[in-house]
Amino acid sequence: MPPLRGHDPAEIVAAMQAFRSGERPSTVMGRIAKGFSDDETRAIAAWLAAQR
Amino acid sequence: MIPTTRRAFLSGGALAGFAALLPAPALAQGKAHIVVLGGGFAGATCARALRRANPRFDVTLVEPNAIFTACPFSNAVIAGLRAIEAQRFGYDAIRNDGIAVVAEQATAVDAQARRVTLRGGGTLDYDRLVLAPGIAIRWNELPGYDEAAAAVMPHAWLAGDQTLLLRRQLDAMADGGTVVITAPANPFRCPPGPYERASLIAYYLKKAKPRSKLIVLDAKDNFSKQRLFQNAWQQLYPELIEWVSLSNGGKVVSVDAKTRTLVTDFATYKADIANVIPPQRAAAIAQIAGVADGTGWCPIDPVTFESRLQRNIHVIGDAAIAGAIPKSAFAANAEAKVCAVAIAVLLQGETPAPPKLINTCYSLVAPDYGISIAGVYHPAGGQLADVEGAGGVSPIDAPADFRALEAAYAEAWFRTITAETFG
Repeated sequence: MPPLRGHDPAEIVAAMQAFRSGERPSTVMGRIAKGFSDDETRAIAAWLAAQR
Repeated sequence: MIPTTRRAFLSGGALAGFAALLPAPALAQGKAHIVVLGGGFAGATCARALRRANPRFDVTLVEPNAIFTACPFSNAVIAGLRAIEAQRFGYDAIRNDGIAVVAEQATAVDAQARRVTLRGGGTLDYDRLVLAPGIAIRWNELPGYDEAAAAVMPHAWLAGDQTLLLRRQLDAMADGGTVVITAPANPFRCPPGPYERASLIAYYLKKAKPRSKLIVLDAKDNFSKQRLFQNAWQQLYPELIEWVSLSNGGKVVSVDAKTRTLVTDFATYKADIANVIPPQRAAAIAQIAGVADGTGWCPIDPVTFESRLQRNIHVIGDAAIAGAIPKSAFAANAEAKVCAVAIAVLLQGETPAPPKLINTCYSLVAPDYGISIAGVYHPAGGQLADVEGAGGVSPIDAPADFRALEAAYAEAWFRTITAETFG
């Protein structure tokens, strides 16, 4: 699994949305992404992007 | 992962940076002493998360064992697929984070005086206490199952010597033997655990002792990932595993260690190996501290994990009543982070925002066959509840490469969480 720290937040948001819609196939991420709103997804992405 | 974390982490950092400019009460709070009891996935994660939330916090982690032995993946040790050493972790890295690790047993908690007493007679005063004690076995709740019986009929539900005992018994058993696993009623640590264990023991028996049989005597009619397990058993271990549900007389009402006999209301089972997974409760210090209720578990506030029974004491991990969240290492780690941030916010005199937590539990049905259950949770109606529409189990009809991927992710998860907690 690729580490998420320091990733571009827009990429993370796009990936989460694609997992949520099923457009991007996954094992578990689709099930988890469905638990978060767009606002929450953006907050997660911003936090991850700020980590080193 | 937890959206509210970001704000709290940022404000925690700001408090640390500008502590000198803040009025006196806030300065005092910056030097708060937080004591964490229990160095498992919940406690060790929380100690570290507290220091991240506010580097000015004095954090003491009280854990009598110098080495932690992890339960996740210990079923692979039992099946001879993994060395116990891969389950063992020390506390050096946590010490290096500036956390005081005290290798003692806590014997008393005075919630009024906010003081912990240690077995050696020493005391620790705290501003906030985090209890992460894990589970204890309810000895004799199942008649005949006491500590002496566990030396013959291992529970192997606290990883370590018990894990190795069950492994040795399987090694020594003759081909054609009968292994009986008893599974308890809810709630208990690791809901899919008994069924992963049955799967991996069956994997070993099929290879090494193919004329043997495995019976699961269950005090329940339903269990976690049931369809996925049963589907896989039919595919991989037909005729080998027999699951006896509560309705079919699966509830064990007494055991006799001398004869390795297990008695239900309908039948008596004579086992070559009996793995009794007994009823459980929060570990003893939870009762001593007055945070456990009549169920033996600890009711908590779903936003802060503060005890509903004692102020300034938080309970996380398997000991807590966390609503829909199962008792898993993944959940313990998530609860620990939420709790740490909540404590940092509370000590600033502010109100923590409602959190969202994730859990994922992987189970191995065979070394290259993984299945999972996931959930997202939020406070609702005073409890932690499922976020509707999220979570669920692996697809029932997934191809072999999907199962292999989940088995690989299970291992990756273990490496990641143990590195984050202890590395």
